[in-house]
Amino acid sequence: MKKTVKGIWWAQIKAVIRLEMKKTFFAKRGLWIYLVAALPVLLFIAYAIATSSQQNRSASVARQGVKRLAYQDLLAVKPGMTSEEVMAILGKPPITFHWTEDRPTQDGTNGSIRVNHEDFHYSDGQNDLFVGLANGKVESLNIRQGINLGQDSIMFAAVFQFFFLRLAVFFGCLGIFMNLFRGEILDRSLHFYFLAPMRREVLMAGKFLAGLLATCTIFGLSEVLQTIAFVWHFPPGVRDYYLYHNHGLEYAAIYLGVTLLACVGYGAFFLVAGMMFRNPILPAAAILIWEGINPFLPSVLRQFSVIYYLKSFCPVDIPASPGTPAVFALLISNSNPVPAATAILGILIVALIALYVSSVQVRRMEINYTTE
Amino acid sequence: MAIYRRNYKPYAGPLTPAWSRWFILFRYSRRNLFRSKFMTGLFVVCFFYPMLCLLQIYLAHSVSFLEQIGIPSRVIAIDNEFFFRFMGVQGVLAFLMTALAGPGLISPDLANGALPLYFCRPFSRAEYVLGKSSVLAILLSQMTWVPGLVLFAMQASLAGLSWTWSNLWIAGSLVLSSLIWIAILSLLAMALSAWVKWRIVAGALLLAVMFFGAGFAQAINTVMRAEWGHFFNVAYLMTTVWNSLFRVDTEHAIPVVEAWIALLVYCAICLGLLMRKVRAYEVIR
Repeated sequence: MKKTVKGIWWAQIKAVIRLEMKKTFFAKRGLWIYLVAALPVLLFIAYAIATSSQQNRSASVARQGVKRLAYQDLLAVKPGMTSEEVMAILGKPPITFHWTEDRPTQDGTNGSIRVNHEDFHYSDGQNDLFVGLANGKVESLNIRQGINLGQDSIMFAAVFQFFFLRLAVFFGCLGIFMNLFRGEILDRSLHFYFLAPMRREVLMAGKFLAGLLATCTIFGLSEVLQTIAFVWHFPPGVRDYYLYHNHGLEYAAIYLGVTLLACVGYGAFFLVAGMMFRNPILPAAAILIWEGINPFLPSVLRQFSVIYYLKSFCPVDIPASPGTPAVFALLISNSNPVPAATAILGILIVALIALYVSSVQVRRMEINYTTE
Repeated sequence: MAIYRRNYKPYAGPLTPAWSRWFILFRYSRRNLFRSKFMTGLFVVCFFYPMLCLLQIYLAHSVSFLEQIGIPSRVIAIDNEFFFRFMGVQGVLAFLMTALAGPGLISPDLANGALPLYFCRPFSRAEYVLGKSSVLAILLSQMTWVPGLVLFAMQASLAGLSWTWSNLWIAGSLVLSSLIWIAILSLLAMALSAWVKWRIVAGALLLAVMFFGAGFAQAINTVMRAEWGHFFNVAYLMTTVWNSLFRVDTEHAIPVVEAWIALLVYCAICLGLLMRKVRAYEVIR
């Protein structure tokens, strides 16, 4: 049976993808990309281990207490209470620490007064209360919350937006997509592709899809593992609540989608850059700075970036903590989020424009290995 | 004479003194570097800010001119913060210069197996590293502490002996802060290029170490609710050290001593990695 032209092109694209798979996934010079993708996962695993160990310590303190406490009991202690009043509410403290301090007198004379300090440590099994008493009266109170879903999801969102998306995916795409053509030139093997009876645009499409497949797999998997590591330390009840009733599962799906869209957007950009520039440092630095200053740009210019559309998808808004300088607050804020459909269309259009430029570039490309 | 009758005769001409042999590497590498018009252009651009600073110092001492154009003379203060800002700007430019020039120093020798050609001559590994790093060290010195000292001398000549005497420590800070930054940048660039062996990727990796390191540090601090993540941020460590050297009053998440130790550890790691790769032969398994 005779194949149509499109059928032949598709068969050729599949052949290029097959050839490129080994190069993109197992290339020695690309192994650092796995490290980049693994770093946030390792970070959340470390967080889960640290939180679990803290929870075990809290549970142990709670078991040592004479009374079974609730979170409201911990909140009932107020500054100025006496140690007897504290013990009346919370019972005898499971962990105490005594020390004395020679405090200089208020009137400025050389004398000093002796202050007896006591530190009490209570726990309800998840949250810890540290009470500092001076001469039998509560002077300081510090509650360390075990699990705070709101804070934790903001922390996850911050790491996703400011580290994973802007740096890990960015540099990962830089490594993979710039290597698609530039790597072949350095290995002096691009002429084999150009000698094959195949349109150069088809070769470019095959290489782009291979790179996309690799980045989507590596960073998509990283995102899934991050979510698993993030919810791992929650007790089963809290985990179910977060995933099924607090949009946890929905957020995870959105983050995965944003990661894949980031791979499409940055991938297309770096494919063009890899063909147009011999040295990727300058375009990479330029794109990094352009993406970084996106919140400060006029609204028309903002649309010519990938992060503008990606930020619109991010489900959790990161609040600027009090005292954050206005410039940084602007960086965190998402002032004009675009609708989801527009954002997807925007990224796809930006990617298509980049791919069109790549196809023009690849058609004109001449190999000169000696200049590398 | 027929070729087969020729015998081996060792070179009988004058020899370069042993102590200055590393300088040959510097001479050739520097010549290669400035063959690129872009590099030459960038090097020239690196002197724009020092020129601006020079003008600022001149203006600060031209009270009558400032009064004429309606600017109070105290607006332009030439103090420790002025020199700190100078170091900040020149430091960024020095990083950019290193990212472009540094990786090309060693990686071609390693990628093309040229190291045996160096080491079959009376030339040690340390001399090789010294020769290659001196290219960056001298280049970056010309951008950082040398113009810094020129600015200091200019200010000293205009402000008088009393200012010079009470601010002499700034000159020391300029030199020391530049030297530590040059050491970090040169060793990092050469270690990366020696291990990656691909000039372009080594340059991109240097960029990644700075930006990615800063991001990773912030991510650690956010997730672990700690401050030790800053140890992964070379730029933050450097700023901490510079702030202390220039006596700029700001708060830091990590103590200055620890920042110094971390930077020296980074230097030692890079030097170790570099010396591991710079060998006359390499066993590839």
